[in-house]
Amino acid sequence: MGRFIARRLFFFIITLLTTSILIFALIRAAGGNVAAILLGKNSSAEEIHKLSAELGLERPLPVQYFEWMNNFLHGNLGAAFRSKQLASHLIWTQAPVSVPLSLGGFLLAILLAIPLGTYAAKNYNKPSGAIVAVLSQVGIAIPVFWAGLLLSLVLGVHLHILPTGGWTPWSDSVVGAMRSLVLPIFTLGIVMASTLTRYTRTAILDVMNEDFVRTARASGMSRRVALIKVGLRNASLPLVTVLGLLAAEMVGGTVIIEKVYSLPGISRMILDNVTAREVVVVQSTVMVIVIYVMTINLIIDLAYGLLDPRIRVTK
Amino acid sequence: MSLALKIPKIRASGIWKKSRLPLVIGGSLTSVMVALGIVSIFWVPRDVNGIDPAFRMLSIGTPHHLFGTDYLGRDVTSMLMAGLRTSIIIGSSAAFLSLVIGTILGMVASSVSKLDEPIMRMADIFMAMPGIIFALVLASTIGPGYLTTIFALTSFFTPAFVRVTRASSMRVLAEDYIAVARLYGRKRLFITFRHVLPNISSILIVQFTIYFAAGVLSEAGLSYLGVGINRPSVSLGMMLHEAVEQIGISDPLCVWPGLAIVILVIGLNLLGDGLRDHFDPRFSQRVR
Amino acid sequence: METFALKVENLVVALDDLVAVRGVSFTIEKGERWGLVGESGAGKSLTALAVMGLLQDGWKTSGHVWHDGIDLLQASDKTLSSRRGRTMSMVFQDPTTALNPVAKVGKQITWILRHHLKVNKKEAYEQSLELLNKMNLPRPESIMDSYPHQLSGGQRQRIMIAMALACYPELIIADEPTTALDVTVQKQVLRLLDAAVSERNCGLLLITHDLPVIAAMCENVAVMYGGRIVETGAISEVFTNPRHPYTKGLLASQPTLDNIDLDGGTRLPSIRGSVPPLHAMPPGCAFAERCDFATERCKELPELDGETHRVACWNPLMSTAEGV
Repeated sequence: MGRFIARRLFFFIITLLTTSILIFALIRAAGGNVAAILLGKNSSAEEIHKLSAELGLERPLPVQYFEWMNNFLHGNLGAAFRSKQLASHLIWTQAPVSVPLSLGGFLLAILLAIPLGTYAAKNYNKPSGAIVAVLSQVGIAIPVFWAGLLLSLVLGVHLHILPTGGWTPWSDSVVGAMRSLVLPIFTLGIVMASTLTRYTRTAILDVMNEDFVRTARASGMSRRVALIKVGLRNASLPLVTVLGLLAAEMVGGTVIIEKVYSLPGISRMILDNVTAREVVVVQSTVMVIVIYVMTINLIIDLAYGLLDPRIRVTK
Repeated sequence: MSLALKIPKIRASGIWKKSRLPLVIGGSLTSVMVALGIVSIFWVPRDVNGIDPAFRMLSIGTPHHLFGTDYLGRDVTSMLMAGLRTSIIIGSSAAFLSLVIGTILGMVASSVSKLDEPIMRMADIFMAMPGIIFALVLASTIGPGYLTTIFALTSFFTPAFVRVTRASSMRVLAEDYIAVARLYGRKRLFITFRHVLPNISSILIVQFTIYFAAGVLSEAGLSYLGVGINRPSVSLGMMLHEAVEQIGISDPLCVWPGLAIVILVIGLNLLGDGLRDHFDPRFSQRVR
Repeated sequence: METFALKVENLVVALDDLVAVRGVSFTIEKGERWGLVGESGAGKSLTALAVMGLLQDGWKTSGHVWHDGIDLLQASDKTLSSRRGRTMSMVFQDPTTALNPVAKVGKQITWILRHHLKVNKKEAYEQSLELLNKMNLPRPESIMDSYPHQLSGGQRQRIMIAMALACYPELIIADEPTTALDVTVQKQVLRLLDAAVSERNCGLLLITHDLPVIAAMCENVAVMYGGRIVETGAISEVFTNPRHPYTKGLLASQPTLDNIDLDGGTRLPSIRGSVPPLHAMPPGCAFAERCDFATERCKELPELDGETHRVACWNPLMSTAEGV
């Protein structure tokens, strides 16, 4: 197990480094002249040249990369060109919105999908199971933002139960903040739960066809007990792998949900900066998000190692 | 004494077989939506960008405007059709490109062992990056639009294809007849393309439909955020974005584009499921 | 109180319109050892699974399977579950996939004892150690604490057998128990199985395509072809005086030191033709098209005929004792 952890950590770091290079390359190489982008269309060649020199854009790319990495690791994430706001400050203020939202949605999805998926698997040849399967099929097809709009419409506008948008900072009112998060977390959770339910159902059904389930049944285990004790436990392995993929999806969902419910999270910041072509801020923000997702992935991978005795215990 | 055979009830045959249902429904839904989209290339009832303030906010069922008009007087029906066209073009292009690139890379990875590790590492890295983020980064540098979106989605989907192709390819390569082909002196790569490809084609087709659907959803999301497709092109996600901004969520205008997306995606997913059931061996979904 | 461990009457197993087992009948008395031989696809495993009630969904059965006072084919899953592992148990072919990979071996064995015999944890543990000892497994405490992937194929199969014997069942069905094992281990495992079955006086249904194994382990044999039993009887009878042409061909095609020319050059006798596929089964005797003695009558399905040595054939071979 120790070797496994070390290996995963090693790849974690390598992947982060490679991704950072990738992001850097994308921004610098794909977009053309950074200074030109920052200054906008109507800038003169002189202005561009001046800014380039200022920002150190004339230097070789590897040098710029290392400088960025160095600054990044020291907490200096750069600043927006126009507003001069520090990226790190912006991210710090957005985190209390985005992190609870993304994690909450993720957890809700798991809490909903596992029981539902198990139920669908148990009743796979009965109407009750088919209904769940169909519902999850529909759920997958609904775009995240549309679900948000509809839920917001029904629960917010028509029934006035929950706020349709806006944000009460934690510092102002904990309850208020939680209220603003309920609908968003619910939307995100339901959408992700649809995909996860399908995967759970398939994973369990696949496991139920394995030889060791047959042995368990031949030993006297009833179908129900076999499904839960043996099926679910073994299906947890491929499911945990799927959770890793879901984590990436979660980020996209969070960005959209924040927009739908007008929550001042990371997404607003990134979108604003993308539209304003503030490439420096975008670069660092994206890096932060990637670190966030990869950390979640790392935790999930380690969990897998714990769950699978073939990894945890060596011969 | 004859066999006392209790013959099981004869199942319904032909397309009404229960197991064929996803295929049929999916196929029909998809065809309808795709047809609408394709038709829109040649003809739409009204100009999609035809602003006509005199006729704004007409409700559905108005003559000449089947689904009414939006806040600027543009015909909703035409926009729906054009939006479908965009979704289909982008979804299918992204899925197709990912298919081609991913399949090539996957087959290479499975047969050329030196390249296996690097290719899979690259795939892992791309998979770890959330697709939306990728698209946003590209949009901030290159600018939004058709090409950016397709490029972003392709990069996002390709790793998945690489994974699937590599896994299936390795399974086929382990078969005996491959060993025979190798004995005949054929090069490994040639074997892969010549023998493996036809065998995994069914899996690839199913994956194509799945990612087509994913592409449609992703494009809608990106356009909703404003970094996908913008005017003068029309996108279903963009329509929803405009509707929310301009009118507020209470308006039925928020319903139609979403519904169109849902129908298209359900159709594609069911089609994919149906195809998978069709290609897979019969006994795969039976459980004890 | 019945004398038999298992009585199968006209068992038919089908999936939609494919009939894989076409009317099989046999009886295993308590303590009797039966071998079930036949080529792959003859329907042996399906018969066993049908008896245990472990067929996949969609497979339908008809006929009767009497065991422990009930007709297993009519029983609910709950009723069957109380029999499985207790009065009847099964050992499967592939030990690599037969055990739950995420649970310790000890837990898998003790579960059976605690579920069926209602013993407490400590009792179950002690009894499991006993079982493993009987299976000649060294350091049973360590094995109880291991995961399946840490053990060898031979060890795993012995654990499977131990699990099958744990509750002293009336009947054990062993489906190709040693086929997946190394040749060196096969004999060991078979000997252990033999000893264990003797000690408990269980009924045994040993399914295999390997004739010498049957000869060594069992007293009676049933030969299966095309989903039907074509010959049954005591091994001493059937193997020396086969009456069904298929049985004769099967016995002749076994490599023995007699028919192998060590200088090379002899070909093993084989039965011409091949087994008809399930969807193209002829209405009469399935072996007719490969049989040298087939007549017009063979278009009609023959039934098992005879006293102790029974054969389903219109033109059975004469035993060397009578005639010719």
